Amino acid sequence: MTMLTNVFVKTLRDQRRALAGWSMGLAVLVLLEAALWPTVRNMGNLQDFIASYPEALRELFKIDQFATGNGFFNGELYSLMLPILFLVYGIGRGARAVAGEEEAGTLEVLLTTRVSPVSLVLHKAAALAVAVAGLGVVLFVAVLLSSSAFGLGVTPADALTGSLSMVLLGLEFGMLALAVSAVSGRHAVAVAAASALAVAAYLLYAAGGLVDALRSWRGVSPFQQALADGPLGAGLPASYVWMPLAAAVFLFVALPVFDRRDITVH
Amino acid sequence: MLGADVVADREAVQRRIGYLPGDFVAYPDLTAAEYLRYIGNLRGGVDPSATARLAKRLDLDPGVTISAMSHGNRQKVGIVQAFQHDPELLILDDTTKGLDPLVQHEFLAMLREARAAGRTVFLCSHVLSEVEAVADTVGILRKGRLVEVATVADLKAKALRRLDITFEGPPPADVLRAVPGVADVAANGAGVQLVVTGSMAGLFAAAAPYGIASLVSHEPDLEEIFLTYYGERG
Repeated sequence: MTMLTNVFVKTLRDQRRALAGWSMGLAVLVLLEAALWPTVRNMGNLQDFIASYPEALRELFKIDQFATGNGFFNGELYSLMLPILFLVYGIGRGARAVAGEEEAGTLEVLLTTRVSPVSLVLHKAAALAVAVAGLGVVLFVAVLLSSSAFGLGVTPADALTGSLSMVLLGLEFGMLALAVSAVSGRHAVAVAAASALAVAAYLLYAAGGLVDALRSWRGVSPFQQALADGPLGAGLPASYVWMPLAAAVFLFVALPVFDRRDITVH
Repeated sequence: MLGADVVADREAVQRRIGYLPGDFVAYPDLTAAEYLRYIGNLRGGVDPSATARLAKRLDLDPGVTISAMSHGNRQKVGIVQAFQHDPELLILDDTTKGLDPLVQHEFLAMLREARAAGRTVFLCSHVLSEVEAVADTVGILRKGRLVEVATVADLKAKALRRLDITFEGPPPADVLRAVPGVADVAANGAGVQLVVTGSMAGLFAAAAPYGIASLVSHEPDLEEIFLTYYGERG
């Protein structure tokens, strides 16, 4: 029997099956993608192949970098697939954090214990951070192992920044979903709000690369902050700072609102 | 509350409260034991033997997963979580809903024991026989407003009482009608049915000279009292 000592432990325990499944999925995805690398590398006409893509796509998926292992992973995994997976996990779990319990009716008894509304949200947020970071660790290990198995040459430092950028991206939108979940008490509203903002941020990032008028705004998008020039092989960009900062702002705006709000009782 | 500020010293107060919501929901994927331990930990730790004793008393198997339980058994989990830390104040909302009569009986015994041990119990109930069985003081809420707070005995004294009086001679209906507090007088042969509010001294003084052959008084229950508050008098 798990020792359910507090809300943080309980929340992580509730995610144990999901985390196991997602870890498995991530590892398989990275492994399968890496297995394609020897074929891509040995394509004699790789440059022709790259040139056949429209410039916009080359830019967006960093296809020009396909000649290196880092570039291949950046284009194939880190520019869309992995961000989507980390966002879906972060938003899904964040949205459930408070609203899930409130809609199920389990929140009522919880808040008559010594757990204050503020500490409840902080415990939920900490559990979300640990879960997403856990997926980041799985990604780090999977990328390193796959890289060495198929000769992509990704260094531990590259893999680390890659995982960090995905974790921070997932956390920013996960915390947004958690904040909306705490403020609105509604799971669907939290998912919708965070997903809509994530899509908007991606569109700004994508369009910012194509439309000159939007180029100066591109830096506002968390996708630009996370993916600019990498993330593999880009070192540790200063732009990463904005993501945890935004996550903290979402959380601290939600805390006083949830603290004062009446919860829904069935 | 309990001498502590509920805003400034929330934690100290919450520890001393046991609460069972009207629509109690526990985590379906946990067993009763896991759930009770979790809530106990959040309350600052609970003696496991107290939890086990309560579960046994209510005939609850703590090893069963909550999703597999009947409504009555889930309600038992709720009762145990409210009582297990021996709180000074119990707030219980429609608790006996879905419980079988034996468990209801046991639950009412637990309330009486809590009362005897000096605990305060706020019991919200629509089952008035249950209120009558355990409550010292009754508050009647109507449309969100507290319309009456009184002891059960006081409430009953104030209540309408239905009387059947049989006289030796012709019933003096008009005399009785004139007595303050008497209403709904209906003569029917030698008998009279009427309703009296409050003290009966005036009624008896007026009726005695006519020779009372027999008298039947219907003891009001809380339900009738309750209805008068919700009826025209409310």
